[in-house]
Amino acid sequence: MSKILLKARFEKVKVILVSHLICILVTIACIFPLVWMVSSSLKTQETVFKDFSLIPKSPHFKNYLIAIKEANFGIYFLNSVFYTATVVLAIIFLSSMAAYAFSRLRFPLRSVFYIMLISTMMIPIPGIFIALYVLLNKLHLINTRIGYILCQINAGLPLSIFLFKTFMDKIPKELEEAAKVDGCNKFQIYWKIVFPLSRPTLGVIAIFNTLAVWNEYLLAMLVFSDKSLMPLQRGLMVFYGSHLTQYPLLMAGLTITTIPVLIVYFFMHRYIVSGIIAGALKG
Amino acid sequence: MIYIFLISLFFITSCAKKTEEREIVIWHWMTDREDAFSRLAQEFMVERGIKVKFELYAPSEVYSQKVRAAAQTNTLPDIFGILGSPRDFASFIKAGFVEDLTMYMEENNGKWKNSFYPQAIETVSFKDGNMYGVKPGIYGIPIDMMNIQMICNTEILKKAGIEKIPETWEEYVDAGRKLKKKGINVFVSGWGEVWLLEAMATSFAFNIMGPEKVFNTFKGEVPYTDPDWIKVFSLFDTMRKEGLFIKDSITMVNKTAEQMFANGRSAFTFNGSWCINVYKGMNPNLKYSPCLLPKVNRGNPVYIWGGSGSWFVVNSKSKYKKEAIEFLKWLTSSQQQKFLTEETMNLPSNKDAAEKLKGLLKEFALGMKYVTHPNFWPVHETPEVIEKFDKGIQLILIGKKTPFQVAKELDKYKKEQLKE
Repeated sequence: MSKILLKARFEKVKVILVSHLICILVTIACIFPLVWMVSSSLKTQETVFKDFSLIPKSPHFKNYLIAIKEANFGIYFLNSVFYTATVVLAIIFLSSMAAYAFSRLRFPLRSVFYIMLISTMMIPIPGIFIALYVLLNKLHLINTRIGYILCQINAGLPLSIFLFKTFMDKIPKELEEAAKVDGCNKFQIYWKIVFPLSRPTLGVIAIFNTLAVWNEYLLAMLVFSDKSLMPLQRGLMVFYGSHLTQYPLLMAGLTITTIPVLIVYFFMHRYIVSGIIAGALKG
Repeated sequence: MIYIFLISLFFITSCAKKTEEREIVIWHWMTDREDAFSRLAQEFMVERGIKVKFELYAPSEVYSQKVRAAAQTNTLPDIFGILGSPRDFASFIKAGFVEDLTMYMEENNGKWKNSFYPQAIETVSFKDGNMYGVKPGIYGIPIDMMNIQMICNTEILKKAGIEKIPETWEEYVDAGRKLKKKGINVFVSGWGEVWLLEAMATSFAFNIMGPEKVFNTFKGEVPYTDPDWIKVFSLFDTMRKEGLFIKDSITMVNKTAEQMFANGRSAFTFNGSWCINVYKGMNPNLKYSPCLLPKVNRGNPVYIWGGSGSWFVVNSKSKYKKEAIEFLKWLTSSQQQKFLTEETMNLPSNKDAAEKLKGLLKEFALGMKYVTHPNFWPVHETPEVIEKFDKGIQLILIGKKTPFQVAKELDKYKKEQLKE
């Protein structure tokens, strides 16, 4: 009997060990690029190709000062904060309302519209660059902030609607019926009951879209010609030479641009797991 | 939140400025030239009173997309560059987006045209009877030049007791053996990017049999099983047998090869003149010198691939066409070209500016007289045969096929292609 128990315990330990080992490996794989980025940001152009240690012998902290100065982050940073805040807020507001409509309201061609909207998730933005440019040009939105923001909102809506709708489908209808008895109209039910209950999904959507908008660069290149309208990633471009990339400065710049995203992540990371489990995977 | 909302309102309501003043807009992708271009634009404004605005879009893939999209909406800038193959260039010309500059080039007995290297002009010209059906003429303005040469680490050669840079194939093989004896890697190249392999092989072919015979092969009049072609393939076989290259070269990208050479891990490499910038960044103390590929046939010159590195075209629908051409004339004059060369370390397209070069740039510029490029050739091999050609050489380099086997297979494939 004790032998069987011992064997079972051994099996359990083995499973725990293997699963922990896998987790450690995945963690290392995720963290290593970040560590390498910070490490390279403290090296010189010469040592970045020779010194492969993670802790440089003589760290060059002045790379950060040079990167800030050369990349002219000031205006780009403000632009990025503005684009990210506007797009994320708009996506949360629009997608939650759309999801509520798809989840609760009954109207003709509801499923067709939903499938059409969701299917746009399959189209990558670079694939429709030229069409997008033609459209923005016809609407006189080329080289305008609003043109860029509308494209970004459009890009983020399908996934956000999908996540919100999947979550809202699981919210008990009795809650809404109770609200109706209390005299709430449809918008009040959405705003006072459904939206606050969708907070875990909201966190996920906020983080996903913050990351996407903050790191976006290609669309900005297409839409803008005025340098003063460009987002933060444009600043990093000065470190990419036609034939040689200034890796230490680029990595210093990347580290600087990563910090705000990390801050957002630390504030909202608890919602990611609960949001994904509660919303996305339920469907 | 309120703060963000207020800022949002401010930003949304602030539209992009629209200027009515005379301004030439130039689109480019050359990140490392942004500062130099801006300074030249300021100088031009002071000198001629015309405002020039350089707009940078990088990387080059994004730039190309932007140019294509702008062409579809008729919003191309006054001056821009076209990246891609001659076919792409031709399509822009045929669509009416590119001004024919022949007339301006030929003014004053061709003064402007003659200020450039002939190869620079060839890169941006279409000849009579060209395969793309473009009206013959000069359609672009070369900004800088490049060529691809053999490059040797002079310090390593000295250490190995090799006093003279090898000029012939025999001398090169000899030098390789000496280096190997000292445990030094002989040659590294980014042959994983097959265009480098193709550039090297065709340069050898030009030297061994002369350009005419190479073109006749492309036409299908000379078979790839000709002894001269076997000789070309055999050079790579010799390199393999003698161990004259770092084995990883076959799959290596050029960036890695550049890194290895810059770190002194190989005595020779095969790279373009842009490497001056690359090696300067990777190892400023590297001592090296460009040299032509070793001659196999002493009776023929060695040709190297090269031409205009980057070039601009004028939008034929531009409101400021005259001013745009005036600016390009100014930009490609000796003084401005000298400034650009000093700032960016790229070979100038202006011959006078090239004559004043010093050091490594001068050494690379000397190779310009041997420059050739598929874009200038009267006939072209089909992409399918080129692919087979490159793969064949790779198979020789890994020892899977003999030069004769590759030649035979290539010839068979070429004949099938001709029949089709």
